[in-house]
Amino acid sequence: MLEVKNLKASIVGKEILSGLNLSVAAGEVHAIMGPNGSGKSTLAQVIAGQTDYEVTDGSVEFLGKDLLELETEERAREGIFLGFQYPVEIPGVNNAYLLKAAVNAKRKHHGLSEIDAFEFLKLAREKMAMLGMDQSFLNRGVNEGFSGGEKKRNEILQMAMLEPLLAILDETDSGLDIDALKAVANGVNSLRDPERAIVLVTHYQRLLDYIEPDYVHVLSGGRIVRSGDKSLALELEERGYEWVREAANA
Amino acid sequence: MKATGLNQDLLRAAVEEFPADEFSAARSSAVAKLAGVGFPTVGDEDWKYTNLGLAAEISNGWLKTIIANHGAIAEQSNSEQVAMICQEIDAHWIIIQNGIIASDSLAELDGQAGSGISLSKLEFADKDDADDDAMSLFNVALLRDGLRITARANATTDKPIGILLADSPSSAVTQTRIVIDVGDNAHLRVVEYNLSVDPGRQFTNSVVQANLASGATVDHVRIQNRADDHVGVNKVTVNLDRDASYNHNSFDLGGALTRNDVITKIAGKGAAVNLNGLYLATGTQHIDNHTSILHLVGPSTSEEEYRGILAGSSQCVFNGKVIVSPGADGTDSRQSNHNLLLSDRAEIDTKPELEIYADDVKCAHGATVGQLDETALFYLRTRGLGMDEARKMITRAFAAGTLSTLAVTECQDHLAKVLDQRLDNLIGDGQ
Repeated sequence: MLEVKNLKASIVGKEILSGLNLSVAAGEVHAIMGPNGSGKSTLAQVIAGQTDYEVTDGSVEFLGKDLLELETEERAREGIFLGFQYPVEIPGVNNAYLLKAAVNAKRKHHGLSEIDAFEFLKLAREKMAMLGMDQSFLNRGVNEGFSGGEKKRNEILQMAMLEPLLAILDETDSGLDIDALKAVANGVNSLRDPERAIVLVTHYQRLLDYIEPDYVHVLSGGRIVRSGDKSLALELEERGYEWVREAANA
Repeated sequence: MKATGLNQDLLRAAVEEFPADEFSAARSSAVAKLAGVGFPTVGDEDWKYTNLGLAAEISNGWLKTIIANHGAIAEQSNSEQVAMICQEIDAHWIIIQNGIIASDSLAELDGQAGSGISLSKLEFADKDDADDDAMSLFNVALLRDGLRITARANATTDKPIGILLADSPSSAVTQTRIVIDVGDNAHLRVVEYNLSVDPGRQFTNSVVQANLASGATVDHVRIQNRADDHVGVNKVTVNLDRDASYNHNSFDLGGALTRNDVITKIAGKGAAVNLNGLYLATGTQHIDNHTSILHLVGPSTSEEEYRGILAGSSQCVFNGKVIVSPGADGTDSRQSNHNLLLSDRAEIDTKPELEIYADDVKCAHGATVGQLDETALFYLRTRGLGMDEARKMITRAFAAGTLSTLAVTECQDHLAKVLDQRLDNLIGDGQ
């Protein structure tokens, strides 16, 4: 589904990704781990289309299409979802209004009719119940005055409504207490599907106790330096990132 | 380019051509007072950013026309726009065409607009002519008609009173004068709609005076949706007695050049002034909002929030003056002005002016000028929204903040519609 080859990207002239390779197939859950500054978030942002980063080399293919040629919104409509590490507050933009506009933008792209208000509300309520979100969130401004946990739940709600083919969740576990973490993990697990791939970007192993990955990759210095199964995450937890860095430099 | 001034000789000659009526004496007196004054210029601190050269030029041309036609002024017919507005906003409508009240609309309404509410042609009294600034004098100098709304003590209206200023360049200069007297504990709701029924160069100069007795409330929504080459100067003066409240929402959408002065005087304890405004400008539009809140006594409160969205090469001005007089202890005043610039060629000059001469007061003010948040735009686009849709969503949310304080909700749907249309233009012009 996703083929990243020799990806190099920089911001204001500083190279962050230095020849990254990653292959993700439908139905798989990948965890990308790594120390701060290793390029985890950059990878997520580049795939979503953040133009602050300049791609200097390499390619990214999504379902055989050259992703780097597509605008951010086109990538989203094709089925890519980025769960933000820091979800953006947009005062005055109603949460339900955004959700509906997003769902309809995607439906329109795929030649489907717009969802009606009744159907939309029914769907949104269902997903919110699953995430333990109060329905009043629908009528609030997007992330406006939300707590950290509420913001992350809201990201998962958007993902659940948009039903992406590829979901990249950037540090979705950061700043969550245990109840919120469980709710978020529950939401993500409910979306595991043979048709869908999920990439979890995380610093800590904790999230992987609740969402079991098929593959774990370690990012260091802008490249994937180790890949393995979930046992790699446990090893990292035990030994820290230093040994990976040393191994990579060796 | 040297600014043109008002030609006083033409003014005198034109006013002499007017047929004698109940305003004759007031007109002559205003012409005489204006002789030494003339229109304000950018040399005057209060008019630093707003050049009335074009207003003077239109006026001089119009005065020549009046002289040539010996004071006869073509009447103007109704338009579809007028009918549409009257239908979309549920109100008791009075139509004022180029400063002249459509007599049938007044006759129909008097006594029907609510018990204790009377509507009549203005009989000019000296007490109404207290203001002797140049534009107020010019208003009287060419005055041909006026409206008086009187609400007796405890009067209320079932629907707002709508005043539709339907102007067209068939009268290149129009003066409108409205006096509102509200008795003890009466509640009056007013929608003032400023409309150009035809395109073309026109200068309108309006004066609204409201006097609120003890416990009276006035909700005043002013919607300005003028044609592209319209020049408008509008002055609202409000006097508040004990426990009175004045709630003002202004929406400026059109016009080439618009200058609004809202001057409120709190003369009684417990009175409250709420001023809210939204201005949307694009192209070379110029919109200048000057507000003044004078707290003569305390405790009293004032709350003010103006928001602006600027595209193209537009230029807007916000000047908010709050004066707390000696002894006006217990004054609580908040003021803010927020601006969203959609273009790097647009310009906003924002200036709060606080003069505080009392000790026990709470005064807060703040102004912001910003662009669309790039992070927010990216966030919306990752949800599948196109760039234009994302820009519109954020911009609309910024504007919608001013609708939450709307004092006359009957305007809500119409406003949402016209704001949306206008925002589409602004976003199209923004980049």
